[in-house]
Amino acid sequence: MADASTIDGSTAFEVIDEPAPPSVARQLGLGFWLSSAFVVLVVALALLAPILPIADPDQTAIGGRLEGPRPGLWFGADSTGRDVLSLTIWGSRISLLVGFIAIVIGFSIGGTVGIAAGYFRGLFDKVVSFIFVTLLSFPALILAILITTLLGRTVLWVSVSLGVLAIAPVGRLARAQTLVFAEREFVTAARILGASDRRILVKELLPNVVIPMSALALLGMGIAIVAEGTLAFLAISVEDGFSWGRQIQDAGSSVRDLEEGPHAALFPIGVLFLTVLSLNYAGDRIRDVFDAKELQL
Amino acid sequence: MKFVAGRLVQMVLVVLSVTLLAFAALNFLGDPLFNILGPIADEASGPEFDEVRAQARADFNLDEPFLVRYGLWLGDMAQGDFGRSFANGTTVSSEISRQLPVTIQLMIYAQLLSVLISVPWALWSASRANRFVDKASTVVSFGMLGIPVFALAVVVFWLFAVRFDIFPTRFDDETIRTRLVSMFLPAMVLAVPLIATYQRLLRTDLISTLQEDFISVARAKGLPRWRVLVRHALRPSLFSMLTVFGIQTGALIGGSLIVESYFAVPGIGAGVVEAIIRDDFPVVLAVVVVVTVIFVIVNFLVDLLYSFLDPRVQFDG
Repeated sequence: MADASTIDGSTAFEVIDEPAPPSVARQLGLGFWLSSAFVVLVVALALLAPILPIADPDQTAIGGRLEGPRPGLWFGADSTGRDVLSLTIWGSRISLLVGFIAIVIGFSIGGTVGIAAGYFRGLFDKVVSFIFVTLLSFPALILAILITTLLGRTVLWVSVSLGVLAIAPVGRLARAQTLVFAEREFVTAARILGASDRRILVKELLPNVVIPMSALALLGMGIAIVAEGTLAFLAISVEDGFSWGRQIQDAGSSVRDLEEGPHAALFPIGVLFLTVLSLNYAGDRIRDVFDAKELQL
Repeated sequence: MKFVAGRLVQMVLVVLSVTLLAFAALNFLGDPLFNILGPIADEASGPEFDEVRAQARADFNLDEPFLVRYGLWLGDMAQGDFGRSFANGTTVSSEISRQLPVTIQLMIYAQLLSVLISVPWALWSASRANRFVDKASTVVSFGMLGIPVFALAVVVFWLFAVRFDIFPTRFDDETIRTRLVSMFLPAMVLAVPLIATYQRLLRTDLISTLQEDFISVARAKGLPRWRVLVRHALRPSLFSMLTVFGIQTGALIGGSLIVESYFAVPGIGAGVVEAIIRDDFPVVLAVVVVVTVIFVIVNFLVDLLYSFLDPRVQFDG
């Protein structure tokens, strides 16, 4: 009963003579491509919302109060008879936009500062690392709330506050990656050849740091979308914007509405969940495949 | 000892910079008087509002230079004087002392649930590593990590309180029993991402521990499988789980804002959300500082405990 194979089932460390490594596309696997396709679909629907043949999201009484899904009204209607599918598509615009801007801010600031700190070291590195520790010491949501409360609840400031949250984790990864690569032979070689710091940073280090960071970008995008949803759910996100969080809060806050028609809350929840899950999964796959390649070097 | 002292200095520095940052935000992002009072600051006129304004100026020492102001405010905070809410006139410290215990109970409840569920789950899947049940549970925990807390709250509330009438739809504080029952869903919602995190970490560590020689010895002695798992493999595998325990407290704080507001649990999270909505900045500021300091201290204690359990940590700094 208690034989060794029950413990030792893992084959992760076995050395196998592989003929040729499969292509990157194959290595990423079907799940990765399905996830990516779903994300692309969601983004495309969000971008095309104004020209799609869907109902006006503000138009009430398209269906009956909390009418269930039926052909033509695929996600049913909410408590004022608005089309839930149309609300979900229009709601994705703010969710995705805020997530995207936040990641751009987080990566451009965190990435630049992190790479510079890892490359130049010294006092600059110490100061930057301390700032990262301080930023990470705030419970994330609390910091976002502090910033949005003071600066105002517009798309820009909500994105900025979520972007600030991304700076420290992104910066730490960028710094750690740079530390690893800055010691490698090709960097020393470039330096001996007389390359300037700028050239080494841009031509030698950046391409190596960007790939693992892209995995983080996908994960971060998911986190930012959830964070915006959370703020919207608490009614402290973009003031008159309608996003998934607000939609879920609208439909999910009254016991009576949930009793009569849970679909108005469950459909946007399902779409949000699948989007975040797809981003997480795609990010995870890129990281796994990339890490494995690193080991082969 | 050097490690402890270093961490202690770092903790004090972090607390100082966190408070400085929060206080600077209040003072420099917009007009401080407006930030403190909200719309009363300039819209309303009349002698009674002049008095409120004078009071606010005095409370926050607005006539002093910034650093003096910060020092005085920090001194007040350290003595437990968190100022007062200008929206309803109560002192912030009385609000916090009423709400904080509820939140702490909720967090302990969530942590207990997650440890009680994740540890047996990890033991079970690690002992069947890479078999079907293990692979299936990896998929499940990946999904659990991806569910946004607020979405989960709605689904769980709908399923267990509305669709099937298992738990009450209102928070009931009458007896300890009703309190535990009505806190179960909020605590469970908070616990779900924790369960997944702990299960994944503990499973990975257990699988590598199970490769060790002392496990083979224990097996060779003919000990039953559960005994080997629980008595020999579990303890040396707990370190990663412990490290994230502190980090997870931050996630719990964020999560408590959501579940307390949604399930109407009268804790500090629901309180701060209300304060934000009515633009009551002194309350928001005080909660930010209190919660952040607690978070920093918890992480400090976890680090200490960690270095105590694994002496090698000291040499790595």
